[in-house]
Amino acid sequence: MKLPKNLRRRVLLFSLLSFIVAAGRGAAQKQPQIVQVKIGTILASNKNDEFDAKLKGLENQLRVLKYRSYRLLKDESQNVPWQGSKVFEIPGGRSLMVALQEFQDNRIGLKVRLTEGQKPLLDTTVRIANRGNFILGGPPHEGGVLVLSISAVAQ
Amino acid sequence: MKDCENISESMGRWLDGELSPAESESIRAHVAQCAACREAQRKLEKLQLALEGALMAESKSIEFEPFWRAVQLRIAEKRTWYEDALDWSRGLFTASRAAWAIPALIALLLAVASLESYFPGWRGGAGRNAFAAVDSIDAHGRNVALLREYDSKTTVIWLYEDQEGENETAEEPPPPGPAF
Repeated sequence: MKLPKNLRRRVLLFSLLSFIVAAGRGAAQKQPQIVQVKIGTILASNKNDEFDAKLKGLENQLRVLKYRSYRLLKDESQNVPWQGSKVFEIPGGRSLMVALQEFQDNRIGLKVRLTEGQKPLLDTTVRIANRGNFILGGPPHEGGVLVLSISAVAQ
Repeated sequence: MKDCENISESMGRWLDGELSPAESESIRAHVAQCAACREAQRKLEKLQLALEGALMAESKSIEFEPFWRAVQLRIAEKRTWYEDALDWSRGLFTASRAAWAIPALIALLLAVASLESYFPGWRGGAGRNAFAAVDSIDAHGRNVALLREYDSKTTVIWLYEDQEGENETAEEPPPPGPAF
């Protein structure tokens, strides 16, 4: 089929656009080399009505738990290399091991293990949105409970 | 030579006055200096005149009244929206339109599929995708609860550590789990 000149130009233009979009998509899906994992350790209790101002960004999520008081005990970030893992020390002689598993559709797959000394408390595999988080809570601590906000940012 | 081929293709539309002023001027200038194209123009004009004459002669014997009545009826006829849509969509699939519409459609589909990469969580506003998905939980025999709260897009894994017998020596019992 012989196409007029301007039509050929349009076909070429759209083919080029398609290629650029596809190439961009490929680039955007590229696996990150490092993921910054951040653990916020919060003490939740019913002792008083204190809400730590440093937890403002998490207020809506923490209010789900229905405790009266929330205080940030520790905030720690570590860069975790791809397919690597890092250990975070949690108050009360506990530790949290976070390992990266996958990166797909802008979601980061994490394998998380909470231990108390040598005793494993919980193992979970979670996929969170890049820059998203999830809450892990329950371990008792100083008359309250520990609530961990686990977030990850692909670098 | 190539010019003459192009001119010859556009000659009919030129004589019918269907070209833009710039295109008409370009053809007029070429024809003025090209004997072959002048000859082609002359032949086309002659053919047009002959056709016009024949049609005029024939039209005298044609009864146009029923035709116009039918046209008026068609105009007055109420058309449904889907008939209009069908007529409109027919025009989309002509060869020339399909030639650019197909790559455009591909580009559009790729762009839509890529939006999640460029703008995470665009589907469903703040993010269908913002929720954490829990693939597995092993609490090593302890009780565990999984909560998903839609307003704040919160996923909570709650570990109940006070197993039977485990906290018997604790001085102060830990507060009960949250009232989800």
